[in-house]
Amino acid sequence: MTALKKLIQLAFFLLCCAKLEAQVGFPLNGPPDKRPEYVAITNVTIQINPNKSISNASLLLLDGKIENVGVGISIPKEARVINAKGKYLYPSFIDLYSNYGIKAPIASKTRGDQFSNNQAGPYSWNDAVRSQLDAINYFSYDEKKSKQLLGNGFGVSLSAVQDGIFRGTSALVLNGNAHEQNLVLNPKAACGMSFNKGSSTQDYPGSAMGCVALIRQTYFDANWYAQQKGTYNLSLENINKYKDLPVIFEAENKLAALRAARIGKEFGISYIIKGAGDEYQRLDEIAAIGLPFILPINFPKPYEVENPFDAMNINLADLKHWEMAPANPQMVARKKIPFVITSSGCTEPNEFLKNLRKAVEYGLSEEDALTALTTRPAQWLKSEKEIGTIEKGKMANFFISNEPIFNKNAQILSHWILGEESIINVNSIYSIKGDYRIVNSPIENYVLRINDNLKEGLLLGKDTLKVNIQEQLGIFNLSYNDNNKNTQQIRINAWIKNIDSISFQALSLEGLTQMPDGSSKPFMANWQLVRTENKKTAAIEKPFIGKVVYPFTEYGNENIPKARNYLFKNASVWTNEKEGVLSETDVAISEGKIIAIGKNLKLENYQTIDATGKVLSSGIIDEHSHIGIYRGVNECTQNITAEVRIGDVINSEDINIYRQLSGGVIACQQLHGSCNPVGGQSSLIKLRWGMAPEQMKIAGADGFIKFALGENVKQSNWGVESGRYPQTRMGVEQVYYDAFIRAKEYERALKVNPSLTRRDLELDALVEICNKKRFISCHSYVQSEINMLMHVADSMGFKVNTFTHILEGYKVADKMKAHGVSASTFADWWAYKYEVIDAIPQNAAILNKIGVVTAINSDDAEMGRRLNQEAAKIIKYGHISEEEAWKMVTLNPAKMLHLDTRTGSIKVGKDADLVLWSCNPLSIQAKAEMTFVDGVCYFNRTADEAMRIAVQAERQRIIQKMILAKQKGEKAEAKVSMPDPDYHCDDF
Amino acid sequence: MKILIKIAFCVLLSLNLSAQITTKIIRNGTLHLGNGEVIEGGVLVMEQGKIIELGSTQKGLYKNAVVIDAKGKHVYPGLIAMNNIMGLNEIDAIRATKDYYEQGDFNPNVRSLIAYNTDSKILPTALFNGILYTQAIPQGGIISGSSSLMKTKAWNWEDAVVKGDEGVHINWPHIPIPSLDPNKNGEKLMGDIATFFAEAKQYQNMKTPAFNARLAAMKGVFLGTQNLYIHTNEAQGMMRSIQFFKSNYPEIHLVIVGGQEAYLVADLLKENQIPVVLGSIHRLPARNADGIDLPYQTPAQLEKLGIKFALSLEGSWEARNLAYLAGTAAAYGLNKEAALKAICLSPAEIMGISDRIGSLAVGKDASILICNGDLLDMKSSEIWQAYLCGEAIDLNNEQVKLYQKYMDKYKLN
Repeated sequence: MTALKKLIQLAFFLLCCAKLEAQVGFPLNGPPDKRPEYVAITNVTIQINPNKSISNASLLLLDGKIENVGVGISIPKEARVINAKGKYLYPSFIDLYSNYGIKAPIASKTRGDQFSNNQAGPYSWNDAVRSQLDAINYFSYDEKKSKQLLGNGFGVSLSAVQDGIFRGTSALVLNGNAHEQNLVLNPKAACGMSFNKGSSTQDYPGSAMGCVALIRQTYFDANWYAQQKGTYNLSLENINKYKDLPVIFEAENKLAALRAARIGKEFGISYIIKGAGDEYQRLDEIAAIGLPFILPINFPKPYEVENPFDAMNINLADLKHWEMAPANPQMVARKKIPFVITSSGCTEPNEFLKNLRKAVEYGLSEEDALTALTTRPAQWLKSEKEIGTIEKGKMANFFISNEPIFNKNAQILSHWILGEESIINVNSIYSIKGDYRIVNSPIENYVLRINDNLKEGLLLGKDTLKVNIQEQLGIFNLSYNDNNKNTQQIRINAWIKNIDSISFQALSLEGLTQMPDGSSKPFMANWQLVRTENKKTAAIEKPFIGKVVYPFTEYGNENIPKARNYLFKNASVWTNEKEGVLSETDVAISEGKIIAIGKNLKLENYQTIDATGKVLSSGIIDEHSHIGIYRGVNECTQNITAEVRIGDVINSEDINIYRQLSGGVIACQQLHGSCNPVGGQSSLIKLRWGMAPEQMKIAGADGFIKFALGENVKQSNWGVESGRYPQTRMGVEQVYYDAFIRAKEYERALKVNPSLTRRDLELDALVEICNKKRFISCHSYVQSEINMLMHVADSMGFKVNTFTHILEGYKVADKMKAHGVSASTFADWWAYKYEVIDAIPQNAAILNKIGVVTAINSDDAEMGRRLNQEAAKIIKYGHISEEEAWKMVTLNPAKMLHLDTRTGSIKVGKDADLVLWSCNPLSIQAKAEMTFVDGVCYFNRTADEAMRIAVQAERQRIIQKMILAKQKGEKAEAKVSMPDPDYHCDDF
Repeated sequence: MKILIKIAFCVLLSLNLSAQITTKIIRNGTLHLGNGEVIEGGVLVMEQGKIIELGSTQKGLYKNAVVIDAKGKHVYPGLIAMNNIMGLNEIDAIRATKDYYEQGDFNPNVRSLIAYNTDSKILPTALFNGILYTQAIPQGGIISGSSSLMKTKAWNWEDAVVKGDEGVHINWPHIPIPSLDPNKNGEKLMGDIATFFAEAKQYQNMKTPAFNARLAAMKGVFLGTQNLYIHTNEAQGMMRSIQFFKSNYPEIHLVIVGGQEAYLVADLLKENQIPVVLGSIHRLPARNADGIDLPYQTPAQLEKLGIKFALSLEGSWEARNLAYLAGTAAAYGLNKEAALKAICLSPAEIMGISDRIGSLAVGKDASILICNGDLLDMKSSEIWQAYLCGEAIDLNNEQVKLYQKYMDKYKLN
């Protein structure tokens, strides 16, 4: 009974809908011009869905919907019949990453620092959080873009405000020409996100890690917002309201995709990742995150490489990407990663279809391509009942092409949206290709041969004359130059007289010939013969692409090296233990650990390395490094940014990682810069060259954070008036006291009322410091501020772990010793700013002699690979022993990073983080011959020599190929690759 | 105590100088002449500021000579730091202490020597590491100004000058790929340079031109008495500039400064006999594809190709590490003595002053370092004594004083 009632209700509802659709709904000027929407398209090959194509089929449309489809279906007399013999019909493509028809407002910048949101309204504090925006509010039909989309097969777009980090909801719309009321399939179909603050003029976030932090905090805020009463925040409101919609996350590269997936996992959200087309470069990790992808196919153009010097400025990664990008969809498909394809980034009119065919040429199956463009995007947006296939009851959204769409010369002739036709290419309904014998003077019996492009042809007879052809609405203007008589043009107006009703081949042409003297003669020509076209195409070879290397840059490896059993024979072993230097000693490593040290070790199945005359030491650890960091080392925009984490933005592809390995460096602390009193959280990595970011992190390592003092944090060298607090050392102290007291209050509140207390990631980090779960590495120069921070720490009940740079440490070495803080300093830097005028190269020696754990750090990617030499300077300036100097770049940094139980010395059971040096590593002659991290040889100077040659060979191979591509007519573009950044503390 | 002795020694020296000629004999040390030669356990005699004898055994007889036993030690010529701003710049971050960058594009008339601050706190730290001479260069604009070769220890700049206004510096512009330079800024810059040189040359040929300080200052360059230092690191910059000057102004003495990619245009440099003052080789490779140690290897490559070169360290305080650049070059394929040459004799030759300084040779200024070990290697490069034109130099700078002060405070001495 109830079921029946429901059925009746449903039927009534549907009836109402049908009626509503039929009505106009608003006043019109003049009688409505409603045409019959009943059309049959016959004799056409229909791609029903990606797996099924039927030929000689018919499609019946009624009122914008598919009434029937199939072979031999009955065509009612009322329907207008369109014979599409020889043509192909496909369901409209669906683009899930589009901003079609969207114009959203942007705020304008205020002068100077901007700490708050300039968008007026009950919105987020941060302008990059734009979840209050609903794209549907800003949607309108866009004639120019509509034409381009329809011409590339796209009938449906998920249109979004592609601006900001949280981007609000997007609308699923039709790309056709109709009143906007009729174009909306789903006004709120998905949400959008990115790591890019877009047009926000607000300072925060100023770095990639700041963007991540803002996302995290916003999610926490949304949760908290749902619990609280009293404030209204439309941005957070909407995040909660639409949390069941799919979220499309724009990732600007493969590592950003992994980053987004990590955030999603943290908050239990499965994003759809809009990728960058470089997924193949980290395919295993990409597959492992288990998320669906939207792939762009705006493949790079060949670069201008004709000038060999200019070509040197293009990195191997860019060269290889040009070659490999077209294979990305295929590689993603083979890895069974679900994906759809977007036209996003294809800016030239026919770029999308051209590149789609290229992707197929590179191995993507046509089925996969069609799935990615039709059924799968429809399913992802739960619109598969309406769009995506040619089936009864679905919307009449499809396009018709002259040839199968994946053919090179295929053209979309018309695109139908809601049963309304838009003509894309008009000239191909009939064919006048072929040979026609002319029956009238003055060129009687000549053969007019019209080329396939329908723009030119030849007159073949006594002479061979070139003919130009222009068509306009069925009238062909032929003109030729009669060379034998004069240079004047003879012009013909011709039209089709007879046509083959099946093949649409014009059988005869007639018209008028206008002679140079102005007189006219009749023109008549009959189709003559079928030229046998050579349809045999050579078996298509899949284009050659090079190998993926890890990381995808110069000196990357096809296979990431693995830990093996090694036996170093007869080395001078610098143990850093009480044994000191052991001469002619063997060291064995296995499964990443040091397993034996001794004379004449005999072990089976070990690769022996003759280390006679060489030095084996533990690897160098750089306490202060900024290598391998993506898009900004500083989040400068607030005086406390404890919420940002370098670990979120590790760039595993930085060539400087490899270069550090060549200098014997095995690990480093990736520090936030020195822009603000409390900077971001550090990341401790081992230099596992080739691994993805997460695998570089040192598992189980303690958390660290950057603090900074002095000129950088008070912005004294910025050159412009800054509005950011503090501007003096006095203010710096107050920032600390205030922050730590607030952190303690926050911690109490969390304990008392966990559900109603807003999680604050900034204060979380400070609470961790107070609870000795996070440790400070503080950028510092002059004695007053060093003293100050130790006082702050003492009064708050914690200790400063490390003062880094600490150039005046020697003045307060005794106080530092008493506090228990370590010192990580430069060997001899000074005079670059006022606060370092008293820096002396004997600083490290004094600190060391007082008993402060002292290290030499780099803060510089170049010096980072010569830290052994920097340590040697301390011997000269401060007269310390070689052993003491050596510990300053190995064991001592390990101690201050709390890693000394596992690395930093050569001891059985410790990690096999070793360097084989050509001689005494403190000598300027020393070269790291092999560098091992966890028993894996990541750098080998002999292999490096071979790789240099291989890198050049690979570059030259691709450059040659590029020049060929350009000669074949591909458009080239100029390129200067972005160099890997070389960050320092005060880069922002 | 040590210091007291040193001071007493200096006082003694100055007294002696005023009273009578003092002869100093350095014996038993390893003499690195700076021209590639080494004399083990050799003898060097200096008198009145000059080297008067040099060899493996002493030939002359000297009454009342002070004998310096350098057994186990190494003796070198004083180092010459080219291409830096010591004395012109004190603290990078403080504008008031910067005197090397005049406004405007064409400034050949501005002269670094008059801004050279002999009381700079940086100079004594360079001296401490054996740098007795520095080429103080102006920077910025297209033509930055003229440089001078100065002593790192002197009473005032007049006293410090070794060779005044020895060269004019031009920063060769980077010309972008044509399609990346739609406004043709590269061409415009090149046009400006061509015009300036044409008009400067015209000016020299005019009998009574209306005075133009900038054009007049180019006189020495056209006469060949002043070097024209072309600052560029790019191979294309070297190609373009050399081609421009050789075809238009063959009379100009060209020197390439920076020269990172000199090895790519070696034939051109060699054919035109253009020396190169390499910028710091302690740098990262310019491109990812470059070998990890390409910058370290460049000196050996140039040496092999027969191109004259000096090593330099741009900047001010950094210049004290000059000897270690030579050390690195020596570790990467360059003969150790050739590496030394690149920081003493070659700079002197490039600046046309090798008749007076740059190597240990009879008749040259007695500017000499006695080092406890290998000067080119950090850990052993402590200098024991240094002489500038025969005068012993107090190496005890402000940094050493601070060191001593705190060693005393902590009772670590």
